Amino acid sequence: MTSHPTNGLDDIVHQRVRLGILTIAHEARRVEFSYLRDTLGLTAGNLSQHLGVLETAGLIAIEKGYAGKRARTWVSLTKAGQAALEDEIAQLKMLISRIEPTETSPS
Amino acid sequence: MTSGAAFSGDDPRQLLSETYQLTRQVRRAQRATWFPLLVLAAVTFAAIPFHYAPYRLGACAATRLVRVCTAYPPALLVYWPTALVLAYVVIAAFYIRRSQARGVGTRVRPYVVAGIILALAMTGSLLWALYHPLAFSPDGPGGLFSALHSYPFAIGLALVVLSWAERNGALLALALGYSAVVLVTATLGPVGGHGWLGFPVQLVIPGSVLLLGGIGFLLAQRPWRRAA
Repeated sequence: MTSHPTNGLDDIVHQRVRLGILTIAHEARRVEFSYLRDTLGLTAGNLSQHLGVLETAGLIAIEKGYAGKRARTWVSLTKAGQAALEDEIAQLKMLISRIEPTETSPS
Repeated sequence: MTSGAAFSGDDPRQLLSETYQLTRQVRRAQRATWFPLLVLAAVTFAAIPFHYAPYRLGACAATRLVRVCTAYPPALLVYWPTALVLAYVVIAAFYIRRSQARGVGTRVRPYVVAGIILALAMTGSLLWALYHPLAFSPDGPGGLFSALHSYPFAIGLALVVLSWAERNGALLALALGYSAVVLVTATLGPVGGHGWLGFPVQLVIPGSVLLLGGIGFLLAQRPWRRAA
């Protein structure tokens, strides 16, 4: 018996904003808080909430520092985060491949 | 975008499409292809006068038919590695500064490390060839060896690494085209019998490819619009 792809989805990663954070952190070696906030169109508080969830799950690492006098928060993907992102993308592709034959079939 | 609840109802195709869109957006923000191309074009053009510096005889060796001697301007062996290492340091500093300003990191380190290693390896290899004259013999494998044995070719190899680091297909095409131009123009040197004119051609044509490529990427990436 094969399980449905939805069973393989991780609730922490399978969320639009958190998936966006992981995607950006995967492409950039490190990404700054303000870049994530602006790119994803979030408020600082909302982004902090999502980052907290991902950090608690061990999917991202958060580093605080200064650039001159400005406080900066940098986010980077952990190995677990990379694996979780790859798994999520694979599950999404599998889901799409299951949906498409049904949707494209004539009614 | 502000919901904290776990995703439940979004279309997976839309989610995947948004993921790819974000990926493209980050890559666009990371790219600054024009800068290394323009810096390396400047380094290439600035090398031209050094090719007219006094030559020093390396070594001679004889085959059954011909006696071959090597000669190379020592100034070039100082200029190229120094200029290239400095250029890669400037490029690294530019990318780091830019990534701090934009808030998105870039994987420029492999390019800079590869560029510096290639520049130093090319210098070691040229020094070796200076004392192994038959390696430069126009007969047999020496011609190809000579063509591959140039600093502009090392620049091309490093650009392939940059195209991987930037995930930039257009740069990969430019790097491969540029390397092909370097190999073709290398045959126009003294080995190819064009003597005095050979060296500037070997630098002006590859340097022009880098310059035009740099201007093209500058117009395409328009960094001034992002900074505004």
